Amino acid sequence: MSATREIISSGNDLAAIAAVDAGCMFFGGYPITPSSEVMHTISDLLPKVGGTAIQMEDEIAGVAAAIGAGMAGVRTLTATSGPGISLKAENLGLAQMAEVPLVVVNVMRGGPSTGLPTRVSQGDIAQAKNPSHGDYKSITVCAGTLAECYTETVRAFNLADRFMQPVFVLLDETLGHMHGKAVIPTAEEVKAGIKPRKKFEGDPSEYRPYDVPQDQPAVLNPMFTGYRYHFTGLHHDAMGFPTEEIETCRKLIDRLFRKVDEHRDEIESNEEYMLDDAEILLVGYGSASLAIKEAVNVLREQGIKAGLFRPITIWPSPEERLFELGQKFDKVLVVELNQGQYLEEVQRCMGRRDIEKLTKTNGRPFSPADIIEKVKEL
Amino acid sequence: MSRIVMRFTGVGGQGVLLAGEIFAAAKIKGGGYGVKTATYTSQVRGGPTVVDIQLDDEEIWYPYAIDGQINFMLSVADVSFQLFKDGVKEGGTIVVEPNLVHPTEEDKKKWNIYEIPIITIAKEEVGNVITQSVVALAIANTMMNAIDEDLLIETMLSKVPKKVHEANLKAYELGKKYALEALEKGPSK
Repeated sequence: MSATREIISSGNDLAAIAAVDAGCMFFGGYPITPSSEVMHTISDLLPKVGGTAIQMEDEIAGVAAAIGAGMAGVRTLTATSGPGISLKAENLGLAQMAEVPLVVVNVMRGGPSTGLPTRVSQGDIAQAKNPSHGDYKSITVCAGTLAECYTETVRAFNLADRFMQPVFVLLDETLGHMHGKAVIPTAEEVKAGIKPRKKFEGDPSEYRPYDVPQDQPAVLNPMFTGYRYHFTGLHHDAMGFPTEEIETCRKLIDRLFRKVDEHRDEIESNEEYMLDDAEILLVGYGSASLAIKEAVNVLREQGIKAGLFRPITIWPSPEERLFELGQKFDKVLVVELNQGQYLEEVQRCMGRRDIEKLTKTNGRPFSPADIIEKVKEL
Repeated sequence: MSRIVMRFTGVGGQGVLLAGEIFAAAKIKGGGYGVKTATYTSQVRGGPTVVDIQLDDEEIWYPYAIDGQINFMLSVADVSFQLFKDGVKEGGTIVVEPNLVHPTEEDKKKWNIYEIPIITIAKEEVGNVITQSVVALAIANTMMNAIDEDLLIETMLSKVPKKVHEANLKAYELGKKYALEALEKGPSK
């Protein structure tokens, strides 16, 4: 068993602590409820390890500063809530296109627009898949426990450097603000597991950052270290210079997809709770899964064999496993704090339309009783 | 120990959050599980605020108190009392600040309601209104026997600045004194 420690904290604080333990040296952002504590805490922690946290003039500048730090080669974080992602969207598209790694924590609250600032929601599932225009493949992880606010943030940093793109960490108001015990790996353990991004070590005259195999990310050396390349949101060639050459443009977008799609095994992560002998399948993620687990326990005491499948990596979705589960279970219920954003993905993966849903969009969490009642109706 | 479920309610800005964190942390330090959640409105001050605290020896999944399962509620604002009282088990304990919260005769039949002037104690006897959170902590623990007192006080002191240790210790002692007196007198009828 790996070395662990016990921390009493909140989800937002744990995400900030995780970032610093994972080697993050820069934070750029703008405070917004319910994510502000991520910024408060990391502003306290980063200077102590020689890092920098900046409150910029707005959300857009916050992510722009974070992307700049990513270009300079350091691990970088921004944190916000859904309205902030809306504002950051254009720059997130730039980071996808230019292949700049960064971690984006989104502590979800009620939307659309400014919505319900202090209340819980899981309304940004679809947004996390495609926050900006254009084709690219999102990597989005979703914490479902306090401990995962830490471990998934750590994992996000390693994924960002591996795949050279923004990685979303979804928390929600409940997880961000709840306070309790988290058993997490020690900082030493996390540091030992850091996998830094690839670097080109050859002669600078031979450096071609975007000339990589079709299933691999760009190899971007830190700026100002003698390895020159052009940085743009336009379609670009091996050196990063804008081009409209037909085959280059096709291959670029094809590669942005394939670098993720062909390595799903490195990204996918799920939890299966009481699923082995289950007769009813519940699918849920994030803080909703806390109510689902409680409901599963109560239902089992009453003789109803329910079980939970919880995607921890939301995008790309666990297609194969969801398909298998769709074949195995007759009764499937998707439980989420939105109008069914992941339901559509579950339907697609299972190839079925007869999937039940339990949704809520009034800013209140599910109670276990809501779920128990719905399961009994199935 | 079976699960202890407590709810502290007030309005934004009164500082009832800290007591919840102290309870959860003390329980965890003692080897159990504790969870605190806070629900509030987007008003910075004046909106109803509710802090749920659950303490158990077993793991706690769902972090909010479930209506009907709450053993103890403490309320320092009428709007919050009215909004959240129905979550308390029938026969459960409710402590109210009598200058601000006005339970009806019917309420007094349904629950064991104790009237303790929490804010006045903090403001006038301790001399610092911010210590009301610790007065509330002491009242809740004295009435519920939730946590070993030494552990709770040690945890409380670890969460407040050193220069106010003395004031907070005084707040705890006063909260405990008033709670014991209230228990001896019995709930208000």
